[in-house]
Amino acid sequence: MSVKEKYQYSSKKPEDIIDPDNGYGIIIKNLVKKYEDVIAVNGLNLEIKSGELFSLLGPNGAGKTTTINILNGLLKPTKGTAIVAGYDVRKNLNSIKELIGVCPQEAALYKFLTGRENLDLFGNLNGMPKNRIKERMDYLLELLDFEEDSKRKVKGYSGGMLRKLNMVVALIHDPKIAFLDEPTVGMDPRARRKVWEFIGSLKHQNKTIILTTHYIEEAEALSDRVGIIDYGELIALGTPKELMEKHEAKNLEEVFLKITGRRILEGI
Amino acid sequence: MKMQKILALVKMELKKIIREPAYLFLMILFPTVLTLVFGLAFGTTPSGTPGKNQFDFMAPGLFAYACIFIVMVVAQSFSDDREQGLLKRINVTPTTSGEFMGSHVISNTLLSIVQVAIVTVCSLLIGFRPEGGATGFLLAFIFILVLSICSVGFGLITATVAKTAGTATGLSFIFILPQMFFGTFIPLNDATRIIGYFLPSYYATDALNLIFLEGAPLTELTIWIDLGILTIMSVVIVLLGILLFKKYGKA
Repeated sequence: MSVKEKYQYSSKKPEDIIDPDNGYGIIIKNLVKKYEDVIAVNGLNLEIKSGELFSLLGPNGAGKTTTINILNGLLKPTKGTAIVAGYDVRKNLNSIKELIGVCPQEAALYKFLTGRENLDLFGNLNGMPKNRIKERMDYLLELLDFEEDSKRKVKGYSGGMLRKLNMVVALIHDPKIAFLDEPTVGMDPRARRKVWEFIGSLKHQNKTIILTTHYIEEAEALSDRVGIIDYGELIALGTPKELMEKHEAKNLEEVFLKITGRRILEGI
Repeated sequence: MKMQKILALVKMELKKIIREPAYLFLMILFPTVLTLVFGLAFGTTPSGTPGKNQFDFMAPGLFAYACIFIVMVVAQSFSDDREQGLLKRINVTPTTSGEFMGSHVISNTLLSIVQVAIVTVCSLLIGFRPEGGATGFLLAFIFILVLSICSVGFGLITATVAKTAGTATGLSFIFILPQMFFGTFIPLNDATRIIGYFLPSYYATDALNLIFLEGAPLTELTIWIDLGILTIMSVVIVLLGILLFKKYGKA
């Protein structure tokens, strides 16, 4: 049944009918999130294309993680909404959860399980068939050069290894859309490069990836487009090249500092 | 509801018990040590009833005593998973609350079966000779299973209030101690029995006393009244625990 057919007899307005194949992985419409008197996300509007690697940058507390948590269903928006893979976060969360993978900022793993056991568990929780879990696990672990370490209990992992496994768990079920919240924090430069290569390879699999990071060079190297968010508002949007040209900067870090720094100076 | 997800979570919970020393102690070693210590201490002390020693009167209560510690295990486990961000991680998968909570009920029920087996074997080794035979043990299993579900509910309520696993351990005694003093092997007078009427473990112990000490038959109405009250209490407490944890405990 097509999405239009599904909504044919519902009371939804025509503008609420979203075609999942409309070319957009995510559409954010006037999104607001308030915590008592603090506005974490303030009227955010954004469209992310299917298959796009989009980086969401911003200083600490800018609203990046809140936005991601609304998109993956952990938080409810105060106002506005977002359409993820054709489904509204206010109405179709269960359908969204079937299609997304989330790599949280802090490594969330069962420490008494081995790396492989963690992957097996989350493969099962995502409803994957047994043989597919093993296939996918072997593929991902080999790609990240993590086969041997994955046989050990997570308890003994280094920070970088935890991060790596944290990301693989998010991708075990081959999600259509992946949210990677600062996936390389605490990794040594070599491991980080390896993960960059890996994230880059996801682009060729037509995955929509939303990356948040404090490593601006990471965003510059990997992203198709970048959005800079501050005080819950989108203050810059474009390809890294477009942003550098517009702000006459040598690199994306300079753009970031110019924009967010100016806002601090101007007291916005 | 998919069995695949429930079984994966049950498997993980059982591995946690086996691999984490604190959980292993509480669930497996504690009932063993408890039964052996009480058995050795009171196994030869006369009770005043011909042919029975003091341990014979304590043994039925020990089944419930071991089971109420599930409160602490569940409270610790949920608080710990929440602190580690694991509840959020599971929450972004297509796993439903029913599948998640169901897995906890199943894994703790399985553990209570192991606990009953441990207490039974240790008691028999020490010389406890219960009345009631195989039917009695079957009934005892049923009572302990229902009590374990109730303990999961109390554990969820504790985890809702406690923000860390450490706090959960301490807070769980709010539910453990009254049940321990007024609903297991400690003799009750008329006043303390009134408190016992409000505690689930009282009904389990009351029925187990009837079955194991008096050899009450299946037709004994009190056993079924005890089971009825315990079941109602357990359903209410576990539903309350699930509702409270879903609403206030996940963050």
